[in-house]
Amino acid sequence: MPPKSTPKPTTNGVATPPVQNEEIKEETTSIPPVVGINFGNSYASIAVFTKEGLAECIANEDGERQIACAIAFHGEETYIGNPAKHHLVKNAKNTIIGFRNLLGKKFSEISQSEPTTSAPVIQHPDIPDEPAYKVQVLQPAPSPLPASAIPSHLATPAASHAPTPRSEPVPAERILSVSDVTTLFIKSLIQSAADFLGKKIQGTVITVPSWFSDTQRRALEKAATNAGVEVLQLLDEAGAAAGVTSASSWTNSSQADRTQLLVDVGASSVSLSLLSIREGLAYSLASSSTPGVGGDQIDDKIIKFFATEFTKKTKTPLTIPAADPQDKRADAKLRLAIEHTKRTISASPGAATCSVESLKDGIDFTGTINRMRFDLVAKPVYNAVAAAVTDLLALATVDAHHVDEVVYVGGTTCLPGLDEQILVACGFKEDVSTPFAAGTVVGGGIGDPTTILARGCAIQAALLSTLGDDNQLREAFEHGPAALNNVAATSKTIGLLFPDPTEEELGGTWLPVVLKETPVPARRTIRFDVQLKESTKKVAFEVWEATESFHLEKPPKLERTDDDDDDDEEEEEDEVKVDTVEKNTLLGVGEFVSTLGIQIKGKSKDAGKWIATVEAQVIVGVDGALVVSVKEIGDNGAGVTVKVPAAS
Amino acid sequence: MASVKFVPITVPPLPLDYNAPSTSSALVQRTLIPVGPAHFNHLRLAVHHNHSFDTFDKHIEEEQKRQAEIDAAKDAGLEDDLGVGDEAEPDDLLSLDPKEWKKQDQYAVLGLSHLRHLATPEQIKVAHRKKVLKHHPDKKASKPGHNSSTTAMLIGLHQNTNDDAFFKCISKAYDVLTNPEKRRQFDSVDPEFLEVEDDIPTAQEFKNLNFIKTFTPIFERWARFSKKQPVPSLGKLDAPKDEVEGFYNFWYNFDSWRSFEWLDKEVNEGSDSRDDKRYTEKKNKSERARRKKEDTAKLRGLVDLALGLDPRIKRIKQEEKEARERKKKGSVSGTATPKKTKEEEEAEKQRKLEEEKKKEEEEKVAKADAKKAKAAAANAAKKARRAARAVEDDS
Repeated sequence: MPPKSTPKPTTNGVATPPVQNEEIKEETTSIPPVVGINFGNSYASIAVFTKEGLAECIANEDGERQIACAIAFHGEETYIGNPAKHHLVKNAKNTIIGFRNLLGKKFSEISQSEPTTSAPVIQHPDIPDEPAYKVQVLQPAPSPLPASAIPSHLATPAASHAPTPRSEPVPAERILSVSDVTTLFIKSLIQSAADFLGKKIQGTVITVPSWFSDTQRRALEKAATNAGVEVLQLLDEAGAAAGVTSASSWTNSSQADRTQLLVDVGASSVSLSLLSIREGLAYSLASSSTPGVGGDQIDDKIIKFFATEFTKKTKTPLTIPAADPQDKRADAKLRLAIEHTKRTISASPGAATCSVESLKDGIDFTGTINRMRFDLVAKPVYNAVAAAVTDLLALATVDAHHVDEVVYVGGTTCLPGLDEQILVACGFKEDVSTPFAAGTVVGGGIGDPTTILARGCAIQAALLSTLGDDNQLREAFEHGPAALNNVAATSKTIGLLFPDPTEEELGGTWLPVVLKETPVPARRTIRFDVQLKESTKKVAFEVWEATESFHLEKPPKLERTDDDDDDDEEEEEDEVKVDTVEKNTLLGVGEFVSTLGIQIKGKSKDAGKWIATVEAQVIVGVDGALVVSVKEIGDNGAGVTVKVPAAS
Repeated sequence: MASVKFVPITVPPLPLDYNAPSTSSALVQRTLIPVGPAHFNHLRLAVHHNHSFDTFDKHIEEEQKRQAEIDAAKDAGLEDDLGVGDEAEPDDLLSLDPKEWKKQDQYAVLGLSHLRHLATPEQIKVAHRKKVLKHHPDKKASKPGHNSSTTAMLIGLHQNTNDDAFFKCISKAYDVLTNPEKRRQFDSVDPEFLEVEDDIPTAQEFKNLNFIKTFTPIFERWARFSKKQPVPSLGKLDAPKDEVEGFYNFWYNFDSWRSFEWLDKEVNEGSDSRDDKRYTEKKNKSERARRKKEDTAKLRGLVDLALGLDPRIKRIKQEEKEARERKKKGSVSGTATPKKTKEEEEAEKQRKLEEEKKKEEEEKVAKADAKKAKAAAANAAKKARRAARAVEDDS
């Protein structure tokens, strides 16, 4: 092998010439290995930043993107994730589920009333008031006895009265605190991400429910730290979703200022948030959490449906909710099987099957359900979700008509029936943007409700890790979020009115610039064309504060053909909501004479008209003072600036 | 001139609480969700820019510029180049014949002639990848006339039929350089080294040359062949004695990995004759040995030459002499002359010689004694054996 240059300092120097190999500069654009974790109570998912610069939800080694939050112990083996869920059927006492919600809680705070099929929560034997789980495991056999000190050639040893050491694993009891379980689980998630990236994971952002207390957040952070990963941020679930929806890659991002409704249907609760997204800055206008409504309820109803089906088909009685252990087993089996059914229903319009081998008394079961029947069965749950949405909108005093976008989170929201029900029942406007309308639900698009939280976390983690060496900013982010995140926001829309006598309602053309609920300081710049009168070339505008609302209008009657006489009952015409603007306060006036106006040439219908392109910029200061400047685009363009002081 | 008309009105004074129209609606308090780049920009505004957009814009602009630079560097493919760079490909390089791959400069083919034996395996890999991307026949097929200058076209070197010739050369070069054994063989006869190998000044030529300046690059060139790395360098003119001695020690005991398999004559492929093969192999072996011997001799000669010309050796000798003399002057109380010391030395020598002689003689005598004793012992043993046999016969 030729000599490699290994420059070691010797007293006499080294004869090899210096290598021309330049030190490769550290790239700031490359993203360190970080992972986003959506840590739900029943399912978790992980996302990483790929080489292509996209946050993508990745599968664990079992090929699952939705990783069940379950840990099962069987013999010497530990099962984590979806394989553990199957242990709920036969090995329920050694299977731990639903541990996230217990994080950071004291044993006395946990209600013991609900019967569980999984490992029960017990009091930790050593630590006072600490919830824990007790599981049966097999410990590996003790190592064989060390070789005898007597040389072997002397004789075979005399028969000993001591029992032969066991060579099989020994049954043992293992006590795991909730924190231990969480650490185990997070460790497996981190490992999956590390395997995917081929690098050690350096940091993570984890979701927390908004109702988590500080103690619980600290407990989660500690559990993650024990799992060997630095927690960069604990992000509210709504925040994680906003991380995706406020990003520039979001489908609806051309509309920078919008009101967004987040519908998060979990297994056991529905969380709703009404967000105001203003050029990427998001805050919550109102939020609510409705426990007891969610995916589990739909599961119960579908299981009941299939159980009835089974009884009908086989004449074998199966009653759900189950009382005797056999029925309980059947319940658990069905619960696992309908997971697949629900996914099929979400993905394709056809019928979905549900097959269980040996459901009860050794009889196999295969049933089908189509979307319509499914929606019918799940209707009460859909209605409950829709009602929660209506309540939230009422709480926020925002009309459904003013919601620009609905975003879904959670596997249950993949059901198209739920989307339809919410849109119809709550009275959203017809062109409201939903992941279903955008077609980003199917095929793991950007609006995929099952992965959106993890991706949001991954984006945030990548952002945090590429923040650079702005220590002051980092400090502000980590230690002073409360003070800096409490912002003032405008309460009314500020816009420009260009006088035009032909407009009866407002007396001009209304251009909203800074929408209400925009955090200050804010700056908005818009660019548009203004027609000029050839004689004066004057541009004038008024700055107004305005309120948007709507009024109901009957749509123009459609001409009906007379030949369909059979169904001539008069359909009730729905009233349509039409946007209106009400001027509130005149803040200022500005005018200037255009110098760069040009006449349109050619044969179009606008030919001969004078046009100027102007740019309007509105800056709202922290105190609410306004600086409005309107000027022509181009060198030496005319313009005017109107300053409005803040209300004292 | 406009006429001025007086109106009998006095406008009341401006009320104290008058304000020009201001934003009437109060701001509402909200809590931001700490997520997304916009949130960080908001924090930046608050922390660094005192909520003012003017300086903030500058900051963002700078940030974008920096980002653009990084992206540009990325696009240019400089990110993981490992310093391989792009070398010019002259026409005579592109028109190499892959059949003559043994004669080509493997480093030049891969565009590594600036690194040569210092190229790391990673760099070779990168360089190969670059060349393949550029010269793969599939790529060339889609770009007619690519990379072919007019002269080359005229002499018909870059016809489509011959288009993958250089690609073959690249593959060969990569084969050689990625195989440590082959690479060692090639490095031993690196054409660039061969060119300068004999570029050593003779003693006569050296007279008006600077010793350090002349020999440092020569030794640096040879250093590559050492199995032991790092190799001590020639050092400076005022280097102390240990360093200079260490240097010559190293070079006199130089352990070289250089070998000459690369120059072996190919066994004639056509003939199946074993004898022929063996003959060629034998010749190759002896040729290798001869070259190796020559190489060792050459290096030896070089070191001898350097030692002979090294001004430092003279200086050191001088210094030692002076030191000795000083010592002597110190010990023999001032009056001792050099002649006397010489005499003393001679006397010493004489004494030593005598001693040695004596010793030798003594040894001789001892040897003779031992011989005698041995013979006596043998005789005695013989006698004893005979007696024993006689006893046996009797019984």
